[in-house]
Amino acid sequence: MVDVEIRRDRIILRYKGKKWDWILEPRYWRNTLLWTAGLLVFPILCYFISPILLNTVVNANLYAAIAIPLALMTLGTGRINFGPNFFIGVGGYTAALLSIAYGWGPLKTFPFAVLMSLLSALVFSPLVIVARGLYYVLLTLLLPLVFMEITFIYTDTFKGDVGLAGIQLLLNTGMVKVNFLLTAYISMILMLLYLWVINKVIKSRYGLIMATINDGEEVAHGIGVNINKVKILAFVFAAGMIGVAGWFYAHYFGTFAGITYLPLNFMIKILLVIFIGGRAQIFGCVVGGYFIAFLEMILVVTLGEIQPVLFPVILAVLLFTLPEGLFGLYRRRRYREYLPTLHVRR
Amino acid sequence: MWETLQVVLIYTFVLGSIYLLISLGFSIICGVLRIFHLGYAYLFTLTVYLAWMFMKELGFGLVPALIAMVAIQFGISYLIYKGIIMKYMDREEIILTGLLLVSIIVEQAVNFRYPIQAGVFIQTTLVEGSSDIGAVVISNQLLIGAGIAILLTVLFVFFFLKTRTGLAIRALSQDIYSSQIIGVNVEVLYTVTMFLILIPVIVGTLIVAPVWAVDPTMGSLYFTTAILVAILGGLGNIKGTIIASYLIGFTHAAVSFVVGEPRFMNFSALVLVMIILMVRPQGIAKSEALW
Repeated sequence: MVDVEIRRDRIILRYKGKKWDWILEPRYWRNTLLWTAGLLVFPILCYFISPILLNTVVNANLYAAIAIPLALMTLGTGRINFGPNFFIGVGGYTAALLSIAYGWGPLKTFPFAVLMSLLSALVFSPLVIVARGLYYVLLTLLLPLVFMEITFIYTDTFKGDVGLAGIQLLLNTGMVKVNFLLTAYISMILMLLYLWVINKVIKSRYGLIMATINDGEEVAHGIGVNINKVKILAFVFAAGMIGVAGWFYAHYFGTFAGITYLPLNFMIKILLVIFIGGRAQIFGCVVGGYFIAFLEMILVVTLGEIQPVLFPVILAVLLFTLPEGLFGLYRRRRYREYLPTLHVRR
Repeated sequence: MWETLQVVLIYTFVLGSIYLLISLGFSIICGVLRIFHLGYAYLFTLTVYLAWMFMKELGFGLVPALIAMVAIQFGISYLIYKGIIMKYMDREEIILTGLLLVSIIVEQAVNFRYPIQAGVFIQTTLVEGSSDIGAVVISNQLLIGAGIAILLTVLFVFFFLKTRTGLAIRALSQDIYSSQIIGVNVEVLYTVTMFLILIPVIVGTLIVAPVWAVDPTMGSLYFTTAILVAILGGLGNIKGTIIASYLIGFTHAAVSFVVGEPRFMNFSALVLVMIILMVRPQGIAKSEALW
């Protein structure tokens, strides 16, 4: 028998020990809904204003889609991974190589890209337990650089300097503008899906356990949390999600070059999406993703050749002047959720 | 067989010594400040390109250009210490990302002004030509460089073991709070350390600049080696750094001359580091203190 309980702010349904909440109080969902609606309208606006902007929207969504799982990884492992782009490389190269070798489309390469990202994460997952202090930072920083070197060593396979070409495209409707629009929406759905899933995880019991690990491993251990299991799960799960971004890049551009995604320049962009967005708050990652993608595009258009120099200068200024990132400005006067501490050494 | 062994041994000595020079500064800063100088790569790039700028743009001779370069490097180090490291000591993620950004800004600025096509070259060759040691032919510049690396390391060890300042820096590397209690001026010593690390970096870069490739991204390559050595040796321990430099040198030499695949040099070194970290998570050194 379904038991219905009506409260002032929500309706609660109970059935055989399970519970569903339907929140009525607008302050809990109004802003989320407005922001989501705004995001969903944005690509259409770009389509009519200037379709070139759609590429920036895709980049923004993908930056956020990489940063959101990285925020989860940071929370769950209790330390910052300085080489998330390694998993972009794994996912991207898996999709690219399979697509070129067997002529597979994105749907066929997807499970393999995810699987390879998960497997590679599992192989390197002992690092979250073994590597203490600053060693974790150093080793994670090195992983993508060494991977890049491998792509140069086996240049016959990976085409290290020029990248792999001839990958089947994500979409091909025959109309370039429509392709861009649909791709922007697919990337947005991917990003929003990540946001929704990870928000659920963070608000669940596991999120609480991760927050405990992040705040104090000894305390978490003391209250009976299997720290190693949670750390490895957070690392592998988030890495799989980051790998999907690599798969997306490969099928979106139809080419994939490690030299674009594996160097420090790309990694620092993702870290800054997290820091400037909102210090590992997942909603801040969306703000950070859009801010950095659009800032980069505006600087490219307005400054030309000097953009690579001024872009990091502006980011450095923002890094030092926004203690809680852009999202922190919004959160300052509103309800504040758990703000994870960012640990470098554990 | 004997010839291969000779080649491996000599290149282990030469490469290991050069790597020691490249990574000594990084190791010291890790040991003393207990932070990670992720902007370390910019030091190498600036050494070459500032000297070149003074010679090319302002018409300086080699020696005045080098003196001006050193002065500017000291100034930048001081600004980085005051503006980033000291200010954000309790927010390590900001320090690391900020330092990395500094490195990227320098690399991009250099690349903007002097792209690889500019053909930057500084004539800091000490001895021309090459020497035959047994069956091995090796550049005299690298041999001299290896000698200078050992001499400089001995001087650094002597400084840390036998001088009062060195003793205070070692105390600082062991425990900052206890050092403050016994009257160590932390801020001054941190600044001294920031200056000290410049010496091996600048000397090392000037030695290898005429022999190895010079381009705006050269810093990242040397930085990778410095990271590997520092991790393997145990962050901040000079004894560990010395052993690790030669171990990485041996790995590079063996992969190049025994396996015959120089392209695998960095990859093999990373595998070695990972294997050793599995057995000894704190690296080769017994402690994280400076000595």
